[in-house]
Amino acid sequence: MMRDGNIFNRKYKKAYLKLSNGMSFEGNAVGADVSVSGEMVFNTGMLGYSEAMTDPSYLGQILVFSFCLIGNYGVPVFKNKNFLISKGHESSSIKTQGIIVSNIYSSCYHHNGKISLEEWMKNQEVPGISGIDTRYLVQVIRDCKNLWGRICSDGAKMQNKNKFEFLKNFKYNEYIDPSKYNLMPSVSIKKRITLGRGSKKIAVVDCGVKWNIIRMLVERNCEVELLPWDIDFSKIKCDGWVISNGPGDPRNTGDLVKRIKEYILNSDKPVLGICLGHQLLSLASGAETKRLNHGHRSHNQPVFSLPEKIAYMSSQNHRYAVEKKSIQPEWELWFENANDNSVEGLKHRTKPFISVQFHPEASSGPNDTSWIMDKFVALL
Amino acid sequence: MPVLDFLFSENYKKKKVVLLGSGALSIGQAGEFDYSGSQAVKALEEEGFEVIIINPNIASVQTNKGVNRKVYLYPVVPFWVEKIIKIEKPIAIIPSFGGQTSLNCVIELEKNNILKKYNVKVLGTQVDSLEISEDRDLFVQKMRSIDAPVAQSYTVSTVKDALLAAKKIGYPVITRSAFTLGGLGSCLAKTASELKKFIQTAFTTSPQILIEKSLHGWKEIEYEVMRDIAGNTITICNMENFDPMGIHTGDSIVVAPCQTINNIENNMLRDMAIKIAQNMHIVGECNVQYALNPKNYDFYVIEINARLSRSSALASKATGYPIAYIAAKIVVGFNLLELKNPVTGTTSAFYEPSLDYVTLKVPRWDLNKFNGVSKYLGPQMKSVGEVMAIGRNFCEVIQKALRMVNENEDGITLNVFTSASDENLEKELLLPTNLRVFAIYEAFRRGKTLKYVHERTKVDCWFLSHILYIANIEIDLFDLFKLEKSKKSVTSCELYDAYRQVSRDHLHCLKSQGFSDFQLTKIYLLACLNSKIKLNAKEIHKLSFGVRNLRKKLGILPVVKQIDTTSSEYPTKSNYLYLTYDGIHSDISTKKNKKSIITLGSGSYRIGSSLEFDWCSVMTSSYFKNKKNDSVIINCNPETVSTDYSVSDRLYFEELSFERVLDIIDIENSKGVIACMGGQNPNNLIQQLSESKVNILGHSKESVESAEDREKFSVMLDELGIDQPEWTSAVSILDVEKFVKKIGFPVLIRPSFVLSGTLMNVANNQQSLNYYLSLIKNISTDFPIVISKFILGAKEIECDGVACDGEVIISLVIEHIENAGVHSGDATMVFPPQKIYTHTVNVIKDIVRKIVKGLDLNGPFNMQFIAKDNDVKVIECNARASRSFPFISKISGINFAKIACKVMNNEKVKKILIDESEIPYVGVKASMFSFQRLDGADPVVGVEMASTGEVGCLGKNFDHSMLLAMEATQIKKPKKGVLLSTGREKDKIKFMEVVDNLYKLKVPIYATKGSARYLEKRGYKVNTVHWNRNPRAVDIIAKGNVDFVININKNLSVDELNNNSNIRKIAVKYGCSILTNLEKVMAYLRAYDSYDELQSIENCISL
Repeated sequence: MMRDGNIFNRKYKKAYLKLSNGMSFEGNAVGADVSVSGEMVFNTGMLGYSEAMTDPSYLGQILVFSFCLIGNYGVPVFKNKNFLISKGHESSSIKTQGIIVSNIYSSCYHHNGKISLEEWMKNQEVPGISGIDTRYLVQVIRDCKNLWGRICSDGAKMQNKNKFEFLKNFKYNEYIDPSKYNLMPSVSIKKRITLGRGSKKIAVVDCGVKWNIIRMLVERNCEVELLPWDIDFSKIKCDGWVISNGPGDPRNTGDLVKRIKEYILNSDKPVLGICLGHQLLSLASGAETKRLNHGHRSHNQPVFSLPEKIAYMSSQNHRYAVEKKSIQPEWELWFENANDNSVEGLKHRTKPFISVQFHPEASSGPNDTSWIMDKFVALL
Repeated sequence: MPVLDFLFSENYKKKKVVLLGSGALSIGQAGEFDYSGSQAVKALEEEGFEVIIINPNIASVQTNKGVNRKVYLYPVVPFWVEKIIKIEKPIAIIPSFGGQTSLNCVIELEKNNILKKYNVKVLGTQVDSLEISEDRDLFVQKMRSIDAPVAQSYTVSTVKDALLAAKKIGYPVITRSAFTLGGLGSCLAKTASELKKFIQTAFTTSPQILIEKSLHGWKEIEYEVMRDIAGNTITICNMENFDPMGIHTGDSIVVAPCQTINNIENNMLRDMAIKIAQNMHIVGECNVQYALNPKNYDFYVIEINARLSRSSALASKATGYPIAYIAAKIVVGFNLLELKNPVTGTTSAFYEPSLDYVTLKVPRWDLNKFNGVSKYLGPQMKSVGEVMAIGRNFCEVIQKALRMVNENEDGITLNVFTSASDENLEKELLLPTNLRVFAIYEAFRRGKTLKYVHERTKVDCWFLSHILYIANIEIDLFDLFKLEKSKKSVTSCELYDAYRQVSRDHLHCLKSQGFSDFQLTKIYLLACLNSKIKLNAKEIHKLSFGVRNLRKKLGILPVVKQIDTTSSEYPTKSNYLYLTYDGIHSDISTKKNKKSIITLGSGSYRIGSSLEFDWCSVMTSSYFKNKKNDSVIINCNPETVSTDYSVSDRLYFEELSFERVLDIIDIENSKGVIACMGGQNPNNLIQQLSESKVNILGHSKESVESAEDREKFSVMLDELGIDQPEWTSAVSILDVEKFVKKIGFPVLIRPSFVLSGTLMNVANNQQSLNYYLSLIKNISTDFPIVISKFILGAKEIECDGVACDGEVIISLVIEHIENAGVHSGDATMVFPPQKIYTHTVNVIKDIVRKIVKGLDLNGPFNMQFIAKDNDVKVIECNARASRSFPFISKISGINFAKIACKVMNNEKVKKILIDESEIPYVGVKASMFSFQRLDGADPVVGVEMASTGEVGCLGKNFDHSMLLAMEATQIKKPKKGVLLSTGREKDKIKFMEVVDNLYKLKVPIYATKGSARYLEKRGYKVNTVHWNRNPRAVDIIAKGNVDFVININKNLSVDELNNNSNIRKIAVKYGCSILTNLEKVMAYLRAYDSYDELQSIENCISL
């Protein structure tokens, strides 16, 4: 907040959020001066913006933070050479198309922050708008079944189409629904890599994996092999599988479901599905998925464990969910959302297959279900 | 059925449970327990329990009568609780809703096997866990056993050990002397040589020194945790102190949710809070406090409270999640998943609220009310109340909160330190007082850097940068308006034009950064108006309409937002609202039906306005809610029941400022506003609001004005032929002298515009008159002072009542125990009156009728009288509900507040005649003082109010209720010895009437020289002590030879007060019971006639 001339003579660059329902919001341009389009989603978590923005599940989306003060602690230091310890980052770059906030903090005084949120966004060519009544915008999104938006301002650059694979399909100045496309190629790694060391080896199918999943497995003394989504699973040697979180509609993932069914479920090795991975696993098991009205994107989703009769706070980020009545007889309902009773987790009755809709790896959000990682590792 | 089996085994309905309250309000244990207590009662009643409430706090909502509850106004101590358990035969007792008092009481009952004896179960967190949270050693052990980091500390008695300990802990360390209070002998040592140098001298005064890791400058962070019997655990809210470690959290500015920590820190601390709650087997609510290193991820657990607390009340108001209500359900066996989130009504109570706004709590100190108290803040809490501001950015909330707490419209731009030197300003930054936030602001105004201020205050730069931003705005605005040649006058049109120069966006920005129209007006005046011209608040208000009109024209209006716990994720009908300029859309639409009735609450608790006015506000808003009137309440005090969103149809958690109240009136399009039920704070708004054509219900503006304006009131009394003490309004020292010459000493001095007697004093001679006048500083036509004849040895009597169109509907007379001269807020009161002649009562009631007619009162009122030898004089009339309304309502069984509501609602009300002699019991209301909390404060009681709370106890006769009321206000029967100094000759003679009761207590009696000689002459055995030679009075106290001090001043002169002050201060420090008023002493000692009888009663009286 350095002073540069009288505040009352200063002009801010205006930016506009144009919505597919015809509404328009005016605010101040923050971050990069780029025009983008995406699906409108909101997150009600009060902290963890850097984790959310780098979470590949937000690919193709314009993220609205309902909390009114964003950027307070800058951006956690990114240690390029060792992403395992770069906590606060869930992938190597910002994955959201843009962000909408009420107030953005323009400095950074946190001990684990070197740059401000805005600077980071500028560096990564990600635009945002501040000065928006985000509470109102959240209500608008909540009450619209599907809503897409565009961030634009006078003279803004168009988004670089090479940034993500899926952008190639987009026409400028159009509202684009990312869930119409297979987003796997945009988020999955191109070549398999191995991380960590241990007696057990876990194959992680990268559908847009959050780094904390890998961190937690490595911390639990596992060797992790991160696999491109389209690799031939039949050639993989491992003690267990993790099908990761990721963006988009689980049915729009090419032949991934089929291959999971054929190679992974048939191998009888322990499997853990997380978020999109849970949906993919469920589809592979024969269950159906559905699109929720506005999804769950927050740090306070209560999930009830049916066998334990106890509930946990969980971090979530999903639009699609498994249809309860489609659950196959060999699977049992493991977790249920205590608010809307939607499916939050499944367990195979005889085989070591477990899957959860929420994020046991949290980051951002509560760590209350991290024991699921322990449970999975114990199955190996 | 989810409930614990034993609770509902055979007979489902009407199982009795005992719920303990927290007693009188004192510093550190205040109104928050009325909020948690009344929520608990509601939750328990809903489940069909009969709730037995034990709490002498008569002004609380919790102690209201109800169908399924029985209220015992008894001291919350094992003796009385056992008696009531014996009578009521409850199945269980609940300790966690009545603060420390209730917790301690249950721990003791359990230890003494009383609960086992009567087969009473403890509900909620069990006693062994409660003990861990209370006992430092057990706590440290427990924390270590679950790998929770606690700061190391060692007790040492040699320099060598001290250095060794410091080495183990790591520098910097803090030293504390073991036997001194208030941080004496405390030092921060950064190196071994510093420590050595300090500790050598420290050992000369204290044999033991505590060496602790210094956490000075660390962030202080709290989590509110909820856990049920099944083990479901959630954190409701986290909170961060603006003031880093070193200042008691009750004295800190607190922001919720945390603002400067990241997701990693949050979840690290949250995980630990949950782990602690699980390992402590918490059932219900607990709070965990941390110190967090601002430079890395290190942290320590500071303490845990295994009960509802001030923080839990704040967290409930900050999030909308009713913690106490849910905790009460959990305590009787429900688990969180069986309960719904009451705000949404549809989602689970197992839910961590998500906020889309920010809240800020600012404490209210009344340090200038206490003689001699240190203004520095530290580990000992000194504040008496708090406010909470809700907004959508930090600048907005800090400005709002500072307006709320200081009852002005200035926000942070209040120029407290404008004339301070740079050195003094720096000192203020280094050594925090209650005004530090203003010093920070002033430092920025003077161009100091963030680094400069951060280094001196250790306040996180995130907070500081916002204050710097506000300072920059003010400077820029000033520069924008600055004229070469200043103006001689300013009109509101000029203001309108001035702010039109600022763009609409910028003006909106000013408003969203929390500037009030009043502040904007003041900044303009500062820039343009000749500095010699001083405008008063009223004139500035008038001008500020220029800004207001411009705003309205430009459509810059605040929007209404709901607090819904879910950040809008789910649609709710939440009626918990706040206003902000940082938004464009209101969650609720403007009303058009002119139906709502707005009750103005009392704002922050403070000396002189406390729980009792919240009781009145709650009665009012629930009355109109029940009448289906669309009841709206405005208040900003998070400790209150009135800010529980279930007592009104709409709660605006907002400023009680003129501007904000008008905003809400605009939105509500209300039928009328009630300003006479929340004490002086809302009452002060009546004039301005009426002038803005707001319909004020109850007394007319003219009535209020005639009652409050001394001149008008006096003229009216003269016309009605009613006597009053001689008085004059003085605008100069000369006036004062003339008046004193005419009527002689003693005289009562009262500055204008006072609340609860600030700077009010009695002068006995010229010297003290000069001294007290010097304190007032400004006496002028604008600020006249009132001097009146002070009548010695007169009785003080009050009359509470309700009037309708100039006719008395009901009026009851209350007697003071103390003679006139003790502020009515501090006085001990009795109802029905015991020692007033029927004739006097009749005279008073006649005067009341005349005044009510003369002022044409239409609503609640309170009048004060002095009576001497059948001569009755009027002191004052308050055209509003009074402090004693809950007391008189509960003892008489007639709800005065409700009758007042009927009158204000234009309902037909009949005259109520009540025969006081038929009331089968006697009620005594006594005041609670918090001197022990206020280092250096002189516990003498005078015309300026100093008490922080009150109790009201019931007995079959006066003696019983007097003894109970004294016990409930910490005046305990002496066990070790009594120290006497009995004042003037006249007082000494009077004291002889009760001296035998004192000697019957069979404890050693000590007396200062004069008093001792007097007693010895009459054959009483007494140990003589002296002021300044051995054996000294203060040593007797310090050695613990006495635990009861009776200290009567000869007169109210400065010298006399100072002489005795030392004894009183030491007595307070060592926890003695202390009485300083002769009449109170007499009444108390006389009551010992019935002591044994009271102790052996088998039937306690319930409401």
